Amino acid sequence: MEYPRNITTVQATTILISTIIGVGVLPLPLFAVQGGGTGAPLVTFAGIVLAASGLFILTILGIRHPQKTLISYSEDIVGKWIGRFFSIIVISFFLFLSGLAAREFGEVVVSAVLRETPLEITVIVMLLIACISVRYNINTFAYIHNFYVPAILAPGLIIVALSLKNANPLYLRPIMESNLTSMLKGMLTISALFQGSFIVTMIIPFMKNPRKAKKASFWSIFITGSFYLLIVIATVAVFGPEEIKQIFWPTLELARTTAVPGNILQRLDVIFLAVWVTAVFTTLFSSYYFTIFSIKQLCKLKDHRLLSFFIMPFVFFLAMMPQNILQLYGVIKLVGKAGLLITILYPGLLLMIDIFKSWRKKKRAAQQS
Amino acid sequence: MSLFRKMKRTKISDKTKPMTIPSKVVMDQNKIPDSLAETEEKIRGILGKNDDFLVKRFKIFGQFSAAIFYFSNLVNQDIINKDIIRPLMYVPEHLANREKTLKNLIEIIMEETLYHGQSKVEERLDELLTVLLRGETVIFIDGIKEGINISTREVEHRSVSQPETEQVILGPREGFIENIDSNIAMLRYRLPTADFQVRSMKIGRLTKSTVYYCYIKGIANETVVHEVEKRLSAIEIDAIMDAGYLEQFIEDNHFTPFPQIQSTERPDKTVANLAEGRVAILVDGSPFALLVPVVFNQFYQTTEDYSSRFLMGTFARFARMLALVFSLIFPSLYVSLIAFNPELLPTEFAVAVAGGRAGVPYPAVVEVLIIEISMEILREATVRLPRQVGGALSIVGVLVVGQAAVEAGLASPITVVVIALTTIGSFATPAYTAAFALRMLRFPIMILAGIFGLYGVMVGIILTFNHLLSLKSFGVPYMAPVSPEDKQGMKDVVTRSPLWWMSKRPDFLQTVNRTRHDQDDQNQ
Repeated sequence: MEYPRNITTVQATTILISTIIGVGVLPLPLFAVQGGGTGAPLVTFAGIVLAASGLFILTILGIRHPQKTLISYSEDIVGKWIGRFFSIIVISFFLFLSGLAAREFGEVVVSAVLRETPLEITVIVMLLIACISVRYNINTFAYIHNFYVPAILAPGLIIVALSLKNANPLYLRPIMESNLTSMLKGMLTISALFQGSFIVTMIIPFMKNPRKAKKASFWSIFITGSFYLLIVIATVAVFGPEEIKQIFWPTLELARTTAVPGNILQRLDVIFLAVWVTAVFTTLFSSYYFTIFSIKQLCKLKDHRLLSFFIMPFVFFLAMMPQNILQLYGVIKLVGKAGLLITILYPGLLLMIDIFKSWRKKKRAAQQS
Repeated sequence: MSLFRKMKRTKISDKTKPMTIPSKVVMDQNKIPDSLAETEEKIRGILGKNDDFLVKRFKIFGQFSAAIFYFSNLVNQDIINKDIIRPLMYVPEHLANREKTLKNLIEIIMEETLYHGQSKVEERLDELLTVLLRGETVIFIDGIKEGINISTREVEHRSVSQPETEQVILGPREGFIENIDSNIAMLRYRLPTADFQVRSMKIGRLTKSTVYYCYIKGIANETVVHEVEKRLSAIEIDAIMDAGYLEQFIEDNHFTPFPQIQSTERPDKTVANLAEGRVAILVDGSPFALLVPVVFNQFYQTTEDYSSRFLMGTFARFARMLALVFSLIFPSLYVSLIAFNPELLPTEFAVAVAGGRAGVPYPAVVEVLIIEISMEILREATVRLPRQVGGALSIVGVLVVGQAAVEAGLASPITVVVIALTTIGSFATPAYTAAFALRMLRFPIMILAGIFGLYGVMVGIILTFNHLLSLKSFGVPYMAPVSPEDKQGMKDVVTRSPLWWMSKRPDFLQTVNRTRHDQDDQNQ
């Protein structure tokens, strides 16, 4: 089924923003502090730069092949079977990612809000909304992300703004701690939080003006990067790095300690979580949509809607595999690092091969003429 | 453009088709017999036994035998007597010395005798019978194979008054009535421009209702007009009672609670929408006009917003939006706060609420559901009450649901307050159909809230919004201008920006002409 190219640049930007900002925001300061201590903001910044370069590579690749998604043009660049093999790896990676995102959010809900609900139920509910929503076409996909972005950015910014009155700038110094290897590891982990940006490969074929994808990528990384940086700075300034190392979800704690002036509403973390459901939903929606859409392209099917309920049990199985939250975070870090290979190294290789091929083609054409 | 989905055709069973005039006449040949007696017999045969069908024989100019056929209840008898029969029976002076034969009789009658502006000569019998049934008069002359048909229709209709479903304080008080000619007249006098096009078709095997679809050429998108035409001609039904029947056939998605066509009784609202680039559909017999394409934010806008100054309009709109949001999620929020997260409320208030709920035997969600359901029943009951009983019964309803239920321990006072605010909120939504949609959606979200608390409310809201974002009305995305973002359209979503700021038409309608006003057009 061919859809008309309808996604505007602003919509592409919002798709990227809402995909990247997801459940990863909750443990973000923990990862940053584990990597760099008080140098957490710097670690975050380095992670953002790495992620931005990855996105840049993807965007350039996409612009060179404006009619095709990664699944299709990887077959062109490295040949049918190698391309398909790596596409299957990419698809399974995103399947994993969807499962882990649903599981992580299920854990958050069960420990913070619905203490007596079994974990399976919250995970299933999250996956079910994703399943139902994946049945729409790509234009509705864009509209949905476009619609929810203000709802995602606003609570984070409000929490950050309101919490700064408890901030202690001393916690942010020294800017860089001397342990470089842990900083590097932290940078990689944080960069893994931006993996949702891979979805740009699916978006570019449907954009009205694919050349403007660069602008969309730049702005999305800029906005999400600043958002993440602000959250890390605010959390570290309010709690301090040692305290954060004890908390699984520092951002949630930040929301909990914030009070609306005048004590109209206390314990804002529940509201924060409720609104955060939209952020997690958009991320899960994107990765699940990417998985289904890519399977459809790989197997040359006509319609992706049937797949949505069929693939769901696999995602659920992957989601429930870690036995407890510690194992979950171990798996997330591992998958994140593997993901960096898949989302940065593989596109980088593709780009180099693609440039090499077209350089050779030009040389041959120049020789013949 | 493949923006439109294929419409499903609904076919009525062929076995029960009534005999229509063309089918009867085709059996008999469509010609008018020479002899007047034969014609009369043929027509009476087709029309059957009708005691209000009159045939008056007379002699034209004293010479030619003729008869006039009409349905006495549909015609203006005065016109027939004075403007048709009289000039035909009484030879006028300027014709006294002319030779009148059968050959030039029709010409003399049509061009020199009849005092009527709408008369025609017709030689097809089925056409003459069709117009006879609509209230026109037909004259047959012995020896001539043509009939003269004259427009004499006059039917009782109510006077133009303020529509009851859309009342305003500031603004015109005219509303459409059932007679479609008066409705079109109301539109035409507001749009005295050559670009205003009115096209018609007849729908409905039995009712043959005249359906007019109007648009402004040069503003409305031609694709939308074609799509409207296509969908209207695909309708197969025997009787159209109201514009609502048409709406159900031509809407994009039948399975959504949200309306994709707006209906209004007000001509000023129709004209405003026509000027934005929409198409209006009117049916004879219904005071409602259908407006397509539609977007969601039209459902909380009223004409009063535009007649008042922009600050007033903006403020009223905020209140309405809040009422809309309330009508959807307020009971669910109450349930989730009380049953799952009472720590969110200020402590004294939480204690008071808990105290009020002390005697209630069920969990919060069951209590809220009971009161909600009784409220819905009450609402349906009050719609059908005659005016005299209505006032008293609403008081009884309030007392029963409010006071007595609380005293009996069926509900807590705070529940009744919440439900009352919700119901009032749903009345504040101007579009009845949209308010109904939100009323219906309240229940699943309440149940979700009862199961999962605030998380459930969010899940319900996300599912609702995703559904809204996937709807299209005649190719226009339902949540435009919020979702496919459109700067010009956004000026009219939450705030009602001053009229001079909104100089361009909204983008989502893809109108041909994008500017509303221009300095150079002042003198047009």
